[in-house]
Amino acid sequence: MFDRKEKSAGGRPPAARAQDRPRAAPESDWTERSDMPVYRVVLWPNRSLSPRARRWVMVLVALGLTAPVVPYIATPIFWGLLPFEGAAFFALWLSFRRNDADAQLSEVLSIWPDEIRVERREPSGRVLRWRADPYWVRVMIHVGGRPENYLTLKGGGREIELGAFLSPEERTRLAGDVEQAIQKALRSQP
Amino acid sequence: MADAAVHAHDHEHPGFFTRWFCSTNHKDIGILYLFTAGVIGIVSVAFTMYMRLELMEPGVQYMLLEDGTPNGHLWNVMITAHGVLMMFFVVIPALFGGFGNYFMPLHIGAPDMAFPRMNNLSYWLFVAGSSLGVLSLFVPGGNGQLGTGVGWVLYAPLSTTESGMSMDFAIFAVHLSGASSILGAINIITTFLNMRAPGMTLMKVPLFAWSIFITAFMILLALPVLAGAITMLLTDRNFGTTFFDPAGGGDPVLYQHILWFFGHPEVYIIVVPAFGIVSHVISTFSKKPIFGYSGMVFAMVGIAVLGFVVWAHHMYTVGMSKNAQAYFMLATMVIAVPTGIKIFSWIATMWGGSIELKAPMLWAFGFLFLFTVGGVTGIVLSQAGIDRAYHDTYYVVAHFHYVMSLGAVFGIFMGIYYWIGKMSGRQYPEGLAKLHFWMMFIGANITFFPQHFLGRQGMPRRYIDYPEAFAFWNYISSIGAFISGASLILFLYILWYTLTRGAKVTEHNYWHDELGTLEWSLPNPPPTHTFEELPTRAMWDKHAH
Repeated sequence: MFDRKEKSAGGRPPAARAQDRPRAAPESDWTERSDMPVYRVVLWPNRSLSPRARRWVMVLVALGLTAPVVPYIATPIFWGLLPFEGAAFFALWLSFRRNDADAQLSEVLSIWPDEIRVERREPSGRVLRWRADPYWVRVMIHVGGRPENYLTLKGGGREIELGAFLSPEERTRLAGDVEQAIQKALRSQP
Repeated sequence: MADAAVHAHDHEHPGFFTRWFCSTNHKDIGILYLFTAGVIGIVSVAFTMYMRLELMEPGVQYMLLEDGTPNGHLWNVMITAHGVLMMFFVVIPALFGGFGNYFMPLHIGAPDMAFPRMNNLSYWLFVAGSSLGVLSLFVPGGNGQLGTGVGWVLYAPLSTTESGMSMDFAIFAVHLSGASSILGAINIITTFLNMRAPGMTLMKVPLFAWSIFITAFMILLALPVLAGAITMLLTDRNFGTTFFDPAGGGDPVLYQHILWFFGHPEVYIIVVPAFGIVSHVISTFSKKPIFGYSGMVFAMVGIAVLGFVVWAHHMYTVGMSKNAQAYFMLATMVIAVPTGIKIFSWIATMWGGSIELKAPMLWAFGFLFLFTVGGVTGIVLSQAGIDRAYHDTYYVVAHFHYVMSLGAVFGIFMGIYYWIGKMSGRQYPEGLAKLHFWMMFIGANITFFPQHFLGRQGMPRRYIDYPEAFAFWNYISSIGAFISGASLILFLYILWYTLTRGAKVTEHNYWHDELGTLEWSLPNPPPTHTFEELPTRAMWDKHAH
């Protein structure tokens, strides 16, 4: 998923949560820029269940697991069943949490007239950074490769991947947007 | 930064041990489930051959003690083991664990299951459970002999008073199987809900993936109840509790209620994945989209929900109030409605289609016929009054074997023939596969149809012997069982032939399935990591416009 306005359609994106626990990046010359970039995009992996729908799922599961124990309230059978019903509920709840944590991967691409930056935050908290001069950056889309429409940026002495977790369609669209944004940034150079 | 080279490397081929013993790949784990379930299935079917051999003639000919007297305990052990192994370690693992693991992530365009290592854990818990289940046959049990003979339902007080540790082994086996299924279910629910390809809304998900998801939900809600019930059995046996002992204020009928609260959904846990497979097969070989997709989805949901509120129809004779019996009777009959929707939708899918009678389609026809027969006798049995006469007779045995042995097992064979080219890269021999179908179809019908007559004559189930009056149909039934058994041997040959000498299948969509679920866009067999890129909508939604 990617969103230019840094707002998410399906609730708070994992990308935003990933930023809650940044780990210091080793690169010393990486300073936050206060000037507005010409273009900025935040990318994160797709998760198909909205938080609202998930709440409904958990409510349904809770009801389904509670139903068989309610008739036995105040009997020993209640205590025989409860631990297993509770464990099933919490196991599902934990699995959704963990699945979310696994999606705490984000890539932020920012383009200024004199610099292009990508900051990637991984689920482990590791932050990876890349910067280059937009004049020399090449946006390459590897049509027919594996993964399909693999998108890379070449510049600053390296070739990095961008949005490898997106769908091929989304990567193609992203490549066009990035290409245009770089042109715009270069045109706006003083 | 994640440098581009990350994805450029070729995938290394893992060694045999790493691939099959440490696998976290959903496809490998699916194959492991199918293989293990197959091995346990052979053991379980071997028991039935022995049992039908014994029942072929009145009198006890084979299951004898050393002094020549009938060994009823051995008979009980065979029945118990056949039930426990088939219910927990063959049908669910094959359909839900095997096909579910392999194809559900492919159908929704997920790169793998949400928790690959937990998937591995589920499989090995299942293996551990199967081992305990088989081991329970060889440790001291009731009547001073080996093995437990209380029946797969483990009813108290029989299960709480049987001596030896075989019963405990069986309980732990079911426990491990339950833990495995619950972990598998959680994995599948998370994967299905949270990892669908972008744009694949719930009502665009293929029916097989839906069937697996619904099964997972039923497992999540039903299995903890079973776990609680058998834990209480265990404490009653070993720690002096009296959950099910009237002497201490407990109630053995309560165990039956709890057991069947799990046990009836279990029937649908077993058969719903087969519904999913049959939908794909009928659609593929009729060259038509499935008729009434949303009706099919809601019918499965309906069956799952209703499956939880009809449990006491298994126990009309325990002394329930008339009102309770009337409720359970009506609720049970209502299940015929969603089931009917499915059967008629499958028929409507075939209507006007260009039907190709390949082996998977034959199995689908077989499934439709047999499941309908089993469903109809289910409606007969749902009536509390009639059930008084049929309870614990061979009519019930015939009914549930038509639904499960024939319905669900036909689903397994259907899935194997439909997908084996995809899974192995080699195609099965069509002629032999058709022969297998006809042998199994005819054999199974000859086995179980006469059991309706035996039930109507009043022959009780669970006995090693019977009076002369039941001899004729028992003889016929045994002949049918041997034909089915021979068909299984033929199947093993077909499997061996396919995997070693079968024609290589290079075409991705070798059935020319025009509906295009995602597995048909992949090579045979699919690469270890299926979707390194997320699938596009065009790949799975060919009828979008």
